[in-house]
Amino acid sequence: MELLQSTAEALRLLMAGDAELWGIIFVSVKVCFLALVIATPPAVLLGFFLASRIFPGRRVLIVAVQTLLALPTVVIGLILYMLLSRQGPFGSMHLLFTQQAMVIGEAILAFPILAALTLSAVQAVDPRVAETARTLGAKPWRTSLTMLLEVRFAVMAAMVSGFGRVISEIGCAMMVGGNIAGVTRNITTAIALETSKGEFVEGIALGIVLVIIALTINFGLALLQGRGGSR
Amino acid sequence: MKRFNQLVSAVILTLLLAGTTWASDKNIIRLATTTSTANSGLLDYLLPKFEQKCSCKVHVISVGTGKALKLGEDGNVDVVLVHARPAEDTFIAAGHGIDRRDVMYNDFILIGPHNDPAKIRDEKDVVNAMKKIAQSQSKFVSRGDDSGTDKMEKNYWKIANMKPEGKWYFSAGQGMGEVLQMSGEMRAYTLTDRGTYISYRDKIGLPILLQGDERMFNPYGIIAVNPKKYPDANYKGATELINWITSPQGQQLIGSFKVGGEQLFVPSAK
Amino acid sequence: MSLMLVRGLRKSFGERLLFDVAELALQSGSSYLLTGGNGSGKTTMLRILAGLETAQIGSVSFEGVTIPAGEICTQLSPRVVYLHQHPYLFSSSVAANVAYGLKAAGMAHAKREALVREAMTWAGVNHLAHIAPHKLSGGEKQRVALARARILNPKMLLLDEPTANLDEEARRQVAGLIRQMCDNNHCVVIATHDPELMTLKDAVQLRLENAALR
Repeated sequence: MELLQSTAEALRLLMAGDAELWGIIFVSVKVCFLALVIATPPAVLLGFFLASRIFPGRRVLIVAVQTLLALPTVVIGLILYMLLSRQGPFGSMHLLFTQQAMVIGEAILAFPILAALTLSAVQAVDPRVAETARTLGAKPWRTSLTMLLEVRFAVMAAMVSGFGRVISEIGCAMMVGGNIAGVTRNITTAIALETSKGEFVEGIALGIVLVIIALTINFGLALLQGRGGSR
Repeated sequence: MKRFNQLVSAVILTLLLAGTTWASDKNIIRLATTTSTANSGLLDYLLPKFEQKCSCKVHVISVGTGKALKLGEDGNVDVVLVHARPAEDTFIAAGHGIDRRDVMYNDFILIGPHNDPAKIRDEKDVVNAMKKIAQSQSKFVSRGDDSGTDKMEKNYWKIANMKPEGKWYFSAGQGMGEVLQMSGEMRAYTLTDRGTYISYRDKIGLPILLQGDERMFNPYGIIAVNPKKYPDANYKGATELINWITSPQGQQLIGSFKVGGEQLFVPSAK
Repeated sequence: MSLMLVRGLRKSFGERLLFDVAELALQSGSSYLLTGGNGSGKTTMLRILAGLETAQIGSVSFEGVTIPAGEICTQLSPRVVYLHQHPYLFSSSVAANVAYGLKAAGMAHAKREALVREAMTWAGVNHLAHIAPHKLSGGEKQRVALARARILNPKMLLLDEPTANLDEEARRQVAGLIRQMCDNNHCVVIATHDPELMTLKDAVQLRLENAALR
């Protein structure tokens, strides 16, 4: 059975610590982690403000965030490509086909998820939280911080969701990264390449890693949602 | 508060770490080439030897010929290595590239199902063979991606004065590897370069049905992106690579590259 | 001088008038029992006094100083503290809850610790220090909330049905704590039905009925 054979081969490759394979995995994890670090603070702040303040243009902004969520990754990749190309406005920064470009792209992809999930989390906050904080003398910024802390598990779950989206996407990574060996080749672009070469063993090995990562993420998500939900 | 401080320190440390790994910006040469060239494994064999000599790094972006030339035109790479002479000449004439050199050649071949429904096995003329495939409406998979191979194929149809369309003609819009796999699955005819074919031969089980026509000759050229147009392109690095790949050492290495015991490319620098 | 003096207090929900009070004077050192049927507006009135809800207010002053109606909470907290009928405990820890107001006021950690321990002892909740706040019973939550408020030594305490939905034992404990807070230096306003609290010594009864206060 070719599938079983290839899978066994794949596991052997992974266990043997094949440098190229693990280098690819490292690129995925590193890029996505950095993207989350960059995207989280502004996204959480935006989600918070959208949920707790009324201001002109609020509706429009919420719709914009939700639309970004639905955009295909390859479209975002294309737009970013055109911005970063030497022909484009940011060409002189020489970012195209670098890990930095991938980090920017993944951050853009993670941003709307983080913002939208933070928005719903904060909207769902018990109104007593803010009232209790205020009546005990908390200034507005501390009240806001307290509200965010009360939904911290939901915010963490948002981060995990964001990570899940970016580590498994290919459209943007391929476009702005260029799938350069040792530099911008990550799990998903490598799977695309290996399978296009008919090297299914490598493709399966990487696929297994991605599935394990996805399982771990969802496990963590369930844990966080459980802890957040038990009140 | 303590936990918050720990978190902030962790984040700053991470960013610093990330920053340092990016700061080591050796001399980087960006090379755009075709998927067939990259997939053949030649560059994995060749480039490390070059990188040793120049203490630089070559970043290879492999796409179809059309996109490779566009990358050069847009200044997103420093040098291109492709196999589509007319397109290369246009590229240079338009001022996008300079210092073109011949590098190597391989040839195209027509492959197809064992039972050869279009009966091209005894043909010597590639255009006639394509005519027969169209007339018999035998399945044919085309690159359809403006690559060198694709341009070659379109050129044959032009000479034959035919427009390939119909249920039998599949324009895949993908790289050579994918197209070969598709042809294998569908038991279809396709035009491929010998190099990629040899790499995939065992996986797809389609025999060579026609080869040797002079019009199937597939020369590769290397061109530097014009530094007058893009002053901050790595012209120096591109020149180093061009000089090396056309040098006796580079050429000898190209000739010595074998897959499955067979030589794929013939060095041709003058 | 009244601790808090409100004139022309009027609250409506759409067409329906909830209450219209010409003058309400609350004195320091006094306890008030705010009674009235369900839906009479007890909770709403307390929340308005706490600045957590808006209403038509002619004028309001605290310790003789006029306060703009929209800034009651900002200016008076935590001199005026309101407790929800079901108090919300932050998810951090029982001790952190009790310390919250002090931290908000900028008090240093070491100083806070001593006061927090004292407040928790007073409320009899020391044994709960390491239990997750959401796991506490209704009575335990009330006592923590009371400690959380008391530690700030508020001039005025607004308690919304503090013993409703509690079992007998819990009710007695909470009532006991509340009694201790009703002394010469504090003003406590309690919305309640509880007969246990109705026997509060020297408490003034304010009955909310037919949109008026008696």
